[in-house]
Formats: sequence, C-alpha cells, structure tokens
Amino acid sequence: MSEVQDRLRQRVAELLDGGTIDLFIGYASADAPLKTAVHVVRSSADAEALVWDARCTSNLAALLPDLFKRPQDQRDEWAAPRVGILAKGCVSRSIVGLIKAHQVPREALHIVGVGCSGVVDRHRAARLVAPAQLSKVEFLGDGRVRLHATDGSEQDVDLAELLLEGCLECRHPNAVLSDESIGEPTTAADGSRFANVKSFASRTIDERWEAFRQEISRCIRCYACREACPNCYCTECFAEETSPRWIGVTTEPSDLMLFHLGRAFHQAGRCVDCGACVSACPQGIDLRLLTQKVNEDVESLFGGEVGVSVDRLEPLLQFEMADDEGFMTEP
Amino acid sequence: MTETTDRPDNERIDWEPRIAAFLCNWCSYAGADLAGVSRIQYPPNVRVIRVPCSGRINPLFIVKALQSGMDGVLVSGCHPGDCHYISGNLYARRKFALMKSLLEYVGIEPDRVHFSWVSAAEGIRFAELLHAVVEAVRAIGPATKMVKRIEAVP
Amino acid sequence: MNVRMLDKLDLPSLLERLAETRRLIAPVVDRTGARFAPIEDVASVRWDYRNTSLSAKGIVFPQTEPLLAFRNGEAEERIPETPSTVLFGVRPCDARSLTLLDAVFRGNGIDDPYYAARRGAITVVALACNEPGPTCFCTSVGGSPGDESGADVLATDLGGGVLLRAVTDRGDALLCDLDVGRPAEDGEIEAARENAAQAAARMAPVQVPTDSSRLLNAFGLNLWSDVAAGCIGCGACTYSCPTCHCFDITDEQKRGTGRRVRSWDTCAFPLFTLHGSGHNPRPAADARLRQRVLHKFSYCPENFGQAFCVGCGRCVDHCPTGIDIRRILARLDEVLATDSEVG
Repeated sequence: MSEVQDRLRQRVAELLDGGTIDLFIGYASADAPLKTAVHVVRSSADAEALVWDARCTSNLAALLPDLFKRPQDQRDEWAAPRVGILAKGCVSRSIVGLIKAHQVPREALHIVGVGCSGVVDRHRAARLVAPAQLSKVEFLGDGRVRLHATDGSEQDVDLAELLLEGCLECRHPNAVLSDESIGEPTTAADGSRFANVKSFASRTIDERWEAFRQEISRCIRCYACREACPNCYCTECFAEETSPRWIGVTTEPSDLMLFHLGRAFHQAGRCVDCGACVSACPQGIDLRLLTQKVNEDVESLFGGEVGVSVDRLEPLLQFEMADDEGFMTEP
Repeated sequence: MTETTDRPDNERIDWEPRIAAFLCNWCSYAGADLAGVSRIQYPPNVRVIRVPCSGRINPLFIVKALQSGMDGVLVSGCHPGDCHYISGNLYARRKFALMKSLLEYVGIEPDRVHFSWVSAAEGIRFAELLHAVVEAVRAIGPATKMVKRIEAVP
Repeated sequence: MNVRMLDKLDLPSLLERLAETRRLIAPVVDRTGARFAPIEDVASVRWDYRNTSLSAKGIVFPQTEPLLAFRNGEAEERIPETPSTVLFGVRPCDARSLTLLDAVFRGNGIDDPYYAARRGAITVVALACNEPGPTCFCTSVGGSPGDESGADVLATDLGGGVLLRAVTDRGDALLCDLDVGRPAEDGEIEAARENAAQAAARMAPVQVPTDSSRLLNAFGLNLWSDVAAGCIGCGACTYSCPTCHCFDITDEQKRGTGRRVRSWDTCAFPLFTLHGSGHNPRPAADARLRQRVLHKFSYCPENFGQAFCVGCGRCVDHCPTGIDIRRILARLDEVLATDSEVG
C-alpha cells in the first residue's frame, strides 16, 4: 500500500506541475480513527498529504458534477477545469455513469486507476467496541487490525471483519475506465452477491415490514447518503420539492420510508454498490438493504452490469418487447 | 374542532376499499369509458386519474397514493405494441416491475398495488379487472402501513 | 447543597425509583451506538458509554415538532404536555449546550413555549467524563469533563460508587426527595475533582480563535474554498451538534385540515439560502462552511456572549468527508495571528 501511496503522490505532483490537470481529488488522513478526508490538491506541494489505504471510503466521483457547473456569478470567463481523480473500481464505475448522464465531460477528466482490496465500515468497527468508542486503530499488516477503545481495551480482528459488506462481494476492484494506473491490479472478491437481499427476502412479510420500519426509523434526514452518492446530482431532489410536495420534511415513519424507497428506486440501474452511503450515514443505517434489492432486480430482470461500459444505455432508458410481466394483474 | 371525527379506516365497520386508478387516456381510460356507456357495472370504489400515457406515471405516484391513505393503487395502460406514443408503456413496464418488487420486499402487501394492460375496446375486461382489484384489496383490509396522518397530531 | 455517594450496586434501584416517579430518559446502546431513549426497563440503561451518537438537544428541541393544528380556518396551538422528566447520564458538553439553547429559545425577550414546556420539565443529571473521546475538545471552548453548567446534579463514576453533587436547587430537591445514598466524604469529593482534572489533562488542546470580532475579518479570506473542498452539503454535522438550532416551518394539509410543523434545518444545505428567484447568496460550500464556522465562533459570541460549540467532537466523527472543525479553527487562529493585514 505505501508503495502505491508514494507513487501516487509523485505522480499527482507531476501531473500538476506538468499542467495536465488543474486539480486532483484524492484522500488525506483525518484526525479521527478509521477516517480519511477528501483532499483536493491544487499545487504539487499538497500532493504529499495524499493517502491510499483501507480507510478511503468516500466515492470521490460525488464531487465531480459540481466542478463542471458554471458558477452563478461567472459568465464567459469560466472554463471547465481539468480534473484528476483517484479511482478505485467503484469510483470509476460511478464516473462511467456520470459520463453517460452528461454530468461530467470525459475529456476534462484524468482518471488515475488503482486496485482496491476493500475499505472499512466505521460502523462495524464501532459496534465491536461499543459502548466505548474507538480511540485508535493500528493496521498490523497480514490483514490484522488492532482496535483501541476509550475504555482502555484492545482487540485484534481480521480486516475482513471490518470491511464494508459490499466490498466482500465486489467484482470490479480495479478501475474499468482510466487514463493511467498505479500499482498492480487486485483480484475480485468472491463473496456471494446479494447475500443480504436474499436473506431479508426469505423472512415473512410481517418480519420484513418490522425490520424495514425499525432500520429506517433511525434516519435523521441529514441526506448524507444522498450527498455522498455520485448518482444524486439533481439540482432539486424529490425529497425537497414543494410543487409538488412528494414527502414531508419530518422524521415520522411514513416520510422516512418514502424518502428511502424513493432514493433507492431512483438508483435503479445506476447504483455501483460503492457503500459510500452506508459509510456516510451517521446513524449506521443499512441502506444496502434497499439499494441491493433494486440492483438485484435490475440484473435479474434486465441483465447487464452497472457502470462497466460507457456505450451501454442505462436499463431504465431502454426496453425489450419480451420484458417480464409476471408482476401484472390479470382479471 | 381539535378531535377529528374521522376514525382510522381499520376501526370502521363500514369500511370500503378506496382505489386510486391511474389510467392512460388512449387505452385504459377509453376502456373504462366504454364500460360506462355499455352500462357494465363495476365497483364504485375506484377514483380515476387520467394520464396521457402509462409512461407518464412517476412510480412515486404509487407510493404517494399509499401515503395519502388509498387502500389500493391500479395502474393501467395500453398493451405493449399499442402505445399511442409508441413506447411509453414499454419504459413504464420496467419501472413498475421494480417498484412493485421493492414495495413487496419491504413488507407492503402484494395486493395493494396492481398493474395491467386494458385496451380501448376492452370495456368488459376493465370491469372484470376492477372487480378483481377491489376484492383483492378488500381481502387484505385498509392500508395502515406508510399512511401519514396529518390530522392527528402526536 | 447535597453531595451524596451511591454504591454502584444501588444504581439500578435508584433508576427504578426515577422511572416510577418520573419519565426517565437515559442512554441505551443499540446498532446506532449510544442514544437517549425513554426508559421502561432500567436494565437497558448503559452507564459505561463514551458519548451518544446524536446530542441531547432532541429532548428539548425535537427534530419534528407539530406547532399547531388547523381545521377549516381555525387553529389551535399544540404546546406539548411534558411530564416531569429526569435526563440521566448526559455528558457535561451536552448539559452545557442546554444553557446555550436556553439563550436562543428563552433569551432576549423570547420565550418559545414549545421549548419552555419541554425544558422546564427536565431535571438534568449529568455524568462527568473520566476520559476524553478521540475527538473531544471541550476544554478548548470553555467547558470541561467535570463542568457543571446546565446540570442540576453532576454525577461522577468513581468505580465502586457514584458521587452525586447537587448543582441547583432543583437537583438538590431531587437528591433529597429520593434520599439517594449517603453523604459523600471529603476524599470522595476530591477524587471526583481529580478524575475530571485528569480527563481534562488527557484531552488534546485545540487552538480556537477567541476574539470573535477579529474573527469576522476572516470572512474575506481565500482559505474557505480550500477547507470546504470536501463538503458535500449534508446535515450530519448540524444534526448531531448539541448547539445548532436552526429550523424550518412547513404546513401540511389535506382539504382544509392540517398542521404546522417545525423541523430541524441546516445552513449546510444549499437549499437553506436559495431564493424563490433561483439566486443563492451562498451558492457553494465555501460560503456555507464559512457561515457555519463564523456563526458559531463570531456571530453567536457577539449575540449571546459565548461560542456555540461545546467541543463534543460529533461533527468530526460524523462528517462523511473528514472535514474537521478543529483543523479549521487552528488554521484560522494561525492566519489571524500571522497576517497583519487581516484584523
């Protein structure tokens, strides 16, 4: 990891000094256990702060659309920046989606691909030490991690126990679209896909309703999930529209459910299962319970993989005459 | 004035299902119209909302209807291949399949939400469809999940 | 004022008596981490938690609060009927935040009846911190692990027992009413003071600009677009913050019947300052983050005499993109100190 990190810092400095890019989006260390900060580098000296390791959870592609919107107070003098970005597999697939949605121009991007072995879910780590909090985390090498807690306790765990669940199923750890790569490609994970959905779906209707209601009840409408998601680039979200008003702004069960059902549905055919939403949620809500259900349905009903090809039209923008009608009512 | 006189539906003994039906103008709405002029009886439980095409239907309409307290939702359009706008219903079919699957997955009763194709010539079929939908919803009782009651202040 | 010592083994029965005679709100632990909840089963109360994921402000200032109900042109206020409540086990940072919220909702000639109803019903039993959390910095913003402000009773966990010190008459009355434990010995009182002092000593200090009017000069600096580069405009910081208090009011209605609802809002949302015309005076994250920081550390000190930050560290914990107010404050402090042109 640190070789890749060193090479990354060097390369970004070169790209900036050489004028290939105006800015580079990557990660930097943060002063809180298991966290990284999004780091936007504009001068080569700042490239030294870049890091690349299992703490790099944000989907950096989420920052791209705003970079290509003309600021309201600038007219002719604004030109699209040339943006470099560090892309693990899921980030690159999000970029593919954004290109197809005309939210970012391909020619303005310089994608530095990197192979990813999975990133940590802070909530999983937090649950292992709760009700104490993490005070320090050491990566011991050999896939082991030492968790220090505020109550003085220490425990060593496998990194695999801390990874985002989606990382355990990830079939695209390497960038699918890039201008260059750093480090060696990583092998895909072999976890059973949609495991959480199959497990949830096997429960009774009443169990599912109760579990859904409970899981979503923790939501505080902070929209961290939405803002962390590269696909949520709408200038006006349905959740905040007032004409028409789809849902209220409250944290009452009905509004919470409609927000999350709506957001998950709006991801159909576009979600790359990067886990940024799960990572961003301050309440540790398992949003993948919904997004992966939609992903599974799209794959089984309409086929294809999300974000792999810039040429393939999104599933909801096309149809087949023979599309499934098993869900319909016949009198 | 502070106490609402409307009791929640699941406490009323005279409850009748309330169905919101989104019907496309060119086929399903015309089919319903044909049922009417032919004097074919169908249940009065349905509130019809005419849309230009089933493809116009935002899946959020369905969830919104349930939130508003409708006991069932029916969406009906032209048969595939017959859409007045060529392909609106074909896009809609994909959206509806996903939304219905998602709602059932989280525990909404499958019989709350119905989709069908009814053509302008199918007056009898429309009536039969409505009978089936109303009875299916009657069997599962009033909608209580996801209903937002703004009259009752907690 | 009473200072009493309670054996740890007697804590459950104290909680039982509190739950029987009053509404008890205390920390519980679940998938979210620790949070405050109304207690029915006192076995669920967790004494050994570090801090809650969300602050205690939701108890006096709920995220969703119906204000009025209306029907056919007539409206009726819905002031909450709040039973006598004990807020048990809240950390000193959160207890202190209640005094800051009091200044907003019950100061300057304002007395918000909704806030007042909830706040007035609460007796606050705060729990001093024996160790700081990884992101805590209360000592750098006028607080401390043993701070009493906002508390009616301050409790300290001394291992085998819990020291309970009455801070206000209300707290004193509670201790007397429940005849809690036995009078504390001087050694125990001293031990509690030591605990708090040691916890404070272990807390990493943060440079905080304290001259609030000079801080205003930071408004025009270029550093804001740099510090805000990662800000994605969510409300994780604001909604977990004990002192953030902005709110939105919406009407919800159906055929002439409806209600008016107050709900939390955040200046971090782009929508916060979006005009009906489409113009936005804070169009990008730099302006919004600047507003948030200056509001807490410049405007509020001017208006209320105190910075609106209690150093709980939740915003640092929860920010999805790692924005750290401690770093921002340190940077501001440096710039103001070294740049003679600024201020």
